Amino acid sequence: MGRENTVEEALNLLRSRLCNPSFVFKPLSDSPDSNYSKLKFIISSSVTEACNNSILLLGPRGSGKIAVLELVLKDLLLEFPDLISVIKLSGLLHSDDNCAFKEISRQLCAEHQLLFSKMASFDDNSQFMIAMLRECGLAHKTIIFVLDEFDLFAQGKQRVLYSLLDAMQSVTSQAVVIGVSCRLDADQLLEKRVRSRFSHRKLLFLPPSKEDLQRLLEHILSLPVDSTISHDYAVEFNAKLQNILADEKFKQIIITYMDSDATVNHLLRFLFRAVSYMDLGSGFLSLENFKTAFSNIQRQPKLECIKVLESLSLFVIQFLLTLGHLSGLDCSILELHILVCMKRLEVKEQNSYNFNSVMKEYKSIRASFQMSEYYAWNICLRAFEHLLQRELICFTDNRGQNQSVEFRPAKLLISSHELQQGLKSYRSCPAILLKLMDREV
Amino acid sequence: MYIYLGLFKILPAPAKPASAEPIRPIQSFTVGVRRGGRQRFGHTEGGRCGDRRPFCTPTRNRTAPMGKEESPQVTRRTTRSSSSATVATKTCDPHPLTIKDLVFGEDPISLNDLLSKFPGRRIQILELVRLLGASNSPMLPLFIYGGTSSGKTSIVLQMFRHLNRPFVYSSCRTCYSPRILFESVLNQLLLHRKDAANVYSSAKRCERPSDFVNFLREALSNVINNFKGNSGKLGTKKLVGQADGNMVYLIFDNLELIREWDKSLTILPFLFNLYDILKMPEVGIIFVSNTSPDTYYSNMGYMEPIPVYFPDYTEDDLRQIFMKNQANRKLYSSFLDVVLRSFCRITRRMDELSTAFLPLFQKYCEPLHDLGVVPNEEMKRRLFSHLQPQIAPSLNEVFKVSSQSSPAAESNKETKKKSSRRKLGVCAEIDELDFHMSTSAKYLLISAFLASRNPATLDASLFDSMGGIDSRKRKRKSSQKSLEKKENAEQELLMKGPGTFPLERLLAIFQCLTSVAEGSIDEEEQGDEGLGVQGGDGGLMSDVLLQLSSLCNANFIVKGGSCPLEGSTRYRSTVCEDMALKVARSLKFPLSKYLYRR
Repeated sequence: MGRENTVEEALNLLRSRLCNPSFVFKPLSDSPDSNYSKLKFIISSSVTEACNNSILLLGPRGSGKIAVLELVLKDLLLEFPDLISVIKLSGLLHSDDNCAFKEISRQLCAEHQLLFSKMASFDDNSQFMIAMLRECGLAHKTIIFVLDEFDLFAQGKQRVLYSLLDAMQSVTSQAVVIGVSCRLDADQLLEKRVRSRFSHRKLLFLPPSKEDLQRLLEHILSLPVDSTISHDYAVEFNAKLQNILADEKFKQIIITYMDSDATVNHLLRFLFRAVSYMDLGSGFLSLENFKTAFSNIQRQPKLECIKVLESLSLFVIQFLLTLGHLSGLDCSILELHILVCMKRLEVKEQNSYNFNSVMKEYKSIRASFQMSEYYAWNICLRAFEHLLQRELICFTDNRGQNQSVEFRPAKLLISSHELQQGLKSYRSCPAILLKLMDREV
Repeated sequence: MYIYLGLFKILPAPAKPASAEPIRPIQSFTVGVRRGGRQRFGHTEGGRCGDRRPFCTPTRNRTAPMGKEESPQVTRRTTRSSSSATVATKTCDPHPLTIKDLVFGEDPISLNDLLSKFPGRRIQILELVRLLGASNSPMLPLFIYGGTSSGKTSIVLQMFRHLNRPFVYSSCRTCYSPRILFESVLNQLLLHRKDAANVYSSAKRCERPSDFVNFLREALSNVINNFKGNSGKLGTKKLVGQADGNMVYLIFDNLELIREWDKSLTILPFLFNLYDILKMPEVGIIFVSNTSPDTYYSNMGYMEPIPVYFPDYTEDDLRQIFMKNQANRKLYSSFLDVVLRSFCRITRRMDELSTAFLPLFQKYCEPLHDLGVVPNEEMKRRLFSHLQPQIAPSLNEVFKVSSQSSPAAESNKETKKKSSRRKLGVCAEIDELDFHMSTSAKYLLISAFLASRNPATLDASLFDSMGGIDSRKRKRKSSQKSLEKKENAEQELLMKGPGTFPLERLLAIFQCLTSVAEGSIDEEEQGDEGLGVQGGDGGLMSDVLLQLSSLCNANFIVKGGSCPLEGSTRYRSTVCEDMALKVARSLKFPLSKYLYRR
């Protein structure tokens, strides 16, 4: 029982680490030329020198911009507890001007123990913000505005950005605006009057290098030897982990997985899955866990899986095949018939077709091959609707909403290659369909 | 007529098919969501836990991740009668909601029961259990997807019954706008119940995502602190009905429907980023969707949740599901031998198959006097030969619920959406008309059909001589060129569908048709004076307009947009030719004479 508890505790620890970005990004921030150090330097200098500043943090989604920023802010709050107040906005929530000013006032009030009125108008709120900026400047207190999803603030009239940056032009104010965005051209979205008030400092967040990745994996997955978890278990666990990390197959999996998206968060999701597959009986991570996680996280709804597979090394493919994860298209035979008919119509370069033309094709195929089974018009229509629901096909335009389904022009949403692979991997696919697909007949 | 099945969750047990329960009004649904709403999703298993052997303690194998959580079961079992009594009283006498109401509200079930409840879903259930993890471990957002009626919602809900953890379930089908969705989540978290005392209002009024996040954060931290406080106070002893752990899970079902909302472009990225925005490790978020994650891509990205795929049931899975809860398993198994394979070629959706199999099984059992009999080979053959003629036609009726089946089906027709009605209501290939329609409505239907199919330029020649198309005329121009033209026109008809027409044309054709019909009646019955054709067009017209609007409501005729030149509304007939011919036959009207064949 004691052993089981230990294992569970270890698993819990790993899972909470994976869900906690500030833990994950800690080791990447200690070198002097890391983004962490640069950002910390910029902010702390503007705090100590009492000046205004603005920065953009740019990088793909999941590259840890916010996490690094939080680390920096946490450290600075410890360092200068009375000199900083942080206001956080997100473009997803506050892209509306009214909403943004309201939220700024709300957070300012909460920060300075003032009474916040929900009824305050847009004008009141913006004046309050400017007054607060001035007051804080006089008290030598820096307000740090964090604007997540910065590009969304650049929609519309950009009034929030303008009034923020304009207020910062005066000598009395003391504020830092930090924009966080995954659009690399975020500063190009700004209006001229806003852009001219913005300092064009940018920090780019790049995916981790191979060495960093290795370090990161070790940092996340190894257990601490000096904690409540029993020492012997932790040592044994870490030894096994080292074996896995050194394994060539493991490296191969990580490299293929990171091919599609090299950001840290992408890695975290993979690790989370692998860790949750950990065998509670033995209590150690194994290579199998990572393999299973890899095969499960690769999606195959429209057979992207097959596309990915081409770039994979052979052993992974064999592994996937043995797992039976290449079930391919999840359609009934009749739906496959319809897909093939549509495919044939597309090959014939018929510029547009609808259900009626598909039925014509289906009937002609049936007649020429004397297929025994026959499905009535309305059954096929229903199968057609199933396909629509699965989004394997769709209508070509939104016009003609009041037209019946059978007359609206449709198109395939999967490529012929995908369809072919899907048919091949279909368990009991009629041979005739494959032939029809290849245009042999 | 067809019933659109996708709207309803149909229970998998074929013995009790088509939960013919009409959709409840929204308000009562959200009010009763805790007790009533949830239990509906359980797979008819309400009474089943009582049938279990009393002490079949789940095998506590070491690999099962939930091994530890099953330990409080013995204590729970002894008090089951008392807890079920409170459940019964709750439904009639609403008590103030407590924090305990965030769990499923029935006795937790063991993992083995969960697995046996859902045949063919073993892999997915085990995977979900592992991803959800032990009771206090945080979780990244999950995205559960799979085809319709593959058990996603039921499994997730029963999973939480098994885990006995607090969760908030809101379906985007009943919560059809951002505001209702937000308020439903908050109401559940704030333990608020809409009732007459508070005029069925929500706990918080919240329309914007920003307000929602503030309220949600507050409510969640309240709930979580509450749990932490409880577990601290009670120590190791656990109360009955007490939730495990201090995680709270938010479940968003039917996520695909959000894409059709007005504000979908902001709501979807917001929901997908909700976990990052909240930054609360005690919150787990689960999305349940019909369609795969690819269909959610927009130009605004988001962190993808962890995907969990529920594939369609295979034939073997379907057999196992159908075999569940069967009174006479041998008999039903021999029935499935006959029908399952051929039906699986058309569809593997549980809901559709179960409706199709119900009448077939009744047919199958017809020759039997005693339904408890175990069929031998000879009897199987006999039953098969009895059923065989039925299979082929019913294959083509998989999706049809015969109209005299049940009053519930009738009421379903009222509730189903207009768009789906348009899709299905039109092209019924019924052997004879199985609905009643007044004679003038029939004429109106036919004239609408003619107006849609025939070119307007030919109206004069068709109806002038009161005799239809002159066949000699058509034969004259069958040259090579006209043949080509004919083919093109046919193609065009297939592509474009029936044409539109203004009201005036419809009425003109209608009058021509009725006058012809009147004429023929007059010829037959000389003595009978005219039935009031000349009695005044005015009376006729108002009646016809009424009929027209009722035809429009029945979707036999669709009102289209107005013509930009004339400014009048244009109509289009959606009736297929077979149907029109059938109607004409019932009137003994020579429709084909008036139909222009290209």
